Amino acid sequence: MGISINVSGDNKTATIKINGRFDFSLHNIFRKSYKDVVLQSGQYVVDLAGTDYLDSSALGMLLLLKEHADSQTSTVILSGYSDEIKEILTIASFDKIFTLG
Amino acid sequence: MHSISDGVKNVLVVDDDLTNRLVLCALLKDSGFSTLEAANGEEAVQAVEDNHIDIILMDVMMPGMDGYDATKIIKNRQTRFIPVIFLTAMTDEQSLVRCIDSGGDDFLTKPYSHVLLNSKINSMLRIAELYQNIEEKNKQISEKNFQMQQEMNITSKLFEKLSKNDMRGDKTGLKYSMTPMSMFNGDLILTEKNQTSGLDILVGDFTGHGLSAAIGAIPVSDIFHSMTKKCFSYNDLLKEANTKLMDLLPTQMFMACVFLNVDRINNIISIINLGLPDVYLYRNNKIFRTFKSKNIPLGITNILSSQLEVEMETLEFGDRLYVATDGIMEAYSVSGEMFGLDRLLKIMQENTQSEKLFDTILSEVCSFSKGAEQGDDITLLELCHLQNVEYEHENQFLNEHREANNWSMELSMDIKSLRQFDVLPYLMQAINNLQPLESGRTSVHTVLTELFSNALDHGILKLDSSLKSTPQGYMDFYQEKHNRLESFEDGNIQVTLRHELSDSGEGGRLSLFMSDSGEGFNHKAADLTNKNAYSGRGIKLISSLCTEIKILGKGNSVMAYYDWGDMMSDNVSQT
Repeated sequence: MGISINVSGDNKTATIKINGRFDFSLHNIFRKSYKDVVLQSGQYVVDLAGTDYLDSSALGMLLLLKEHADSQTSTVILSGYSDEIKEILTIASFDKIFTLG
Repeated sequence: MHSISDGVKNVLVVDDDLTNRLVLCALLKDSGFSTLEAANGEEAVQAVEDNHIDIILMDVMMPGMDGYDATKIIKNRQTRFIPVIFLTAMTDEQSLVRCIDSGGDDFLTKPYSHVLLNSKINSMLRIAELYQNIEEKNKQISEKNFQMQQEMNITSKLFEKLSKNDMRGDKTGLKYSMTPMSMFNGDLILTEKNQTSGLDILVGDFTGHGLSAAIGAIPVSDIFHSMTKKCFSYNDLLKEANTKLMDLLPTQMFMACVFLNVDRINNIISIINLGLPDVYLYRNNKIFRTFKSKNIPLGITNILSSQLEVEMETLEFGDRLYVATDGIMEAYSVSGEMFGLDRLLKIMQENTQSEKLFDTILSEVCSFSKGAEQGDDITLLELCHLQNVEYEHENQFLNEHREANNWSMELSMDIKSLRQFDVLPYLMQAINNLQPLESGRTSVHTVLTELFSNALDHGILKLDSSLKSTPQGYMDFYQEKHNRLESFEDGNIQVTLRHELSDSGEGGRLSLFMSDSGEGFNHKAADLTNKNAYSGRGIKLISSLCTEIKILGKGNSVMAYYDWGDMMSDNVSQT
């Protein structure tokens, strides 16, 4: 449960899947999941297909991931989200900061 | 079979029979314990007072105080856990039960096996050690708790001071309720009376709770109070707060907020929603308009830049505005269900007495989440647009008693100056200081900002504002603006501001002239009421705020007139 990460063979794409509630309880495990991943001009895909709910601390965690990606000239793509989660992302104008896929 | 920890354990042997004591002590010494002896209950109690005892082997029947009473007293007096094992010749159930009832931890009937006794002692010592660990941890926790409580008290006091100009009241039309999850919360409400006798309000919601969330609240409150007093535009205020929070907060923390500015002279409300849930304008028992978040919360990115999405609406008396943080929507019931947007909308739609709506929403949320643990801070604000308002707290505007006068200023900047110097705040300060516009400060700021960004973004930098219609374009626009500002070699903006008093001195006209070295545009063909004709929302907004606006030359110069006081009524009567 929680979080899994899968890095593609060419080191261009890292896909982070988040299942269940994406909230502060995942703080450490989320950070740990990508901490040692190094992409070169690649993309981090956050797969939210299995995510039921996302709170404001999750938004903060996404910002941390973005910081990590920026330092590797990589991008963060949010994908698979439900309408409810899209609403939360839109309210925070995260569509202006992240790529919604 | 030695004691569990490194230290030698001290066993108190209580028995009235000397031989028994000697035998037992010899055995215990063989097993590596040190021993103390007591011949009756009184001596046992005294020995525990005077020595550090790890475990007690207690006989039951003794002259004077017996084993039961001695155990009761010892267990009562000692805060530390000292295990008591009864050694007794009695085997009847009643007597053995009494051993435990009087506070004993275990018993062994005589004659007992030495091996068994040894393992019982070791087992009890293990438990005692466990107790001790827990006790130490408890002590540490309660010390930490105490410290935390102290810190919370201090921060809580601080918070009270931050919201010093609480403008709530029947006569101001402002109500709000904040239910913090911890003692002080991530939510913040700041209020100041503005120059139009309306209110400037900031409702903020920091990510996280408690102390960490409070860290950001202090500078935001400072900026809010000092900048509203100095009559800075909300644009500048929010930019300043953003910069401060960018500096101060760790990456994952930010503040979603709504800024409200009520202009009571013109009865216009300006709303900037940066990441909070929808703001509702309630009129005639219906939701009249919804203001969605269109801006990035503060403390996330520097691209917040000059273009905040501001929405405006004309107010009627009796209108009510509702701002809530996400705590209401995310309130949980006992069964784990969320209150949600639909319930909130339903209450608002079904409500028939607008003056009770605020209380109704709160009580519905309260009864919905009754018994469940509160997740997020629940904050709800209602602002009713009253015909007459009275405030207890009065702002001291820094330029309140300054007299109107005639002045003009002219400024010309080349591309290098534009690159290095953000001239807008200085122009605005100049206007603020030279001209005590009683009502139109915000409007003038907006006009000047729009004219300036039109001249810079479109005239000189030739940026296409339609870019901003898509999310990625929004980012691209500001990135490109930055790039072009750095790389362009040519360009010039000329600004002329002139203020002329009316004959009576009770009003005046502020003329704003803005000219850029760009190519201009075919303004005669463009429909000025069409949003997309010239630089997006700019011209339409400027027209609505100014008495008159003229586009001159090849479309690279604009003249805008802002009238105030009796000058304004002169113009109205002419038309």
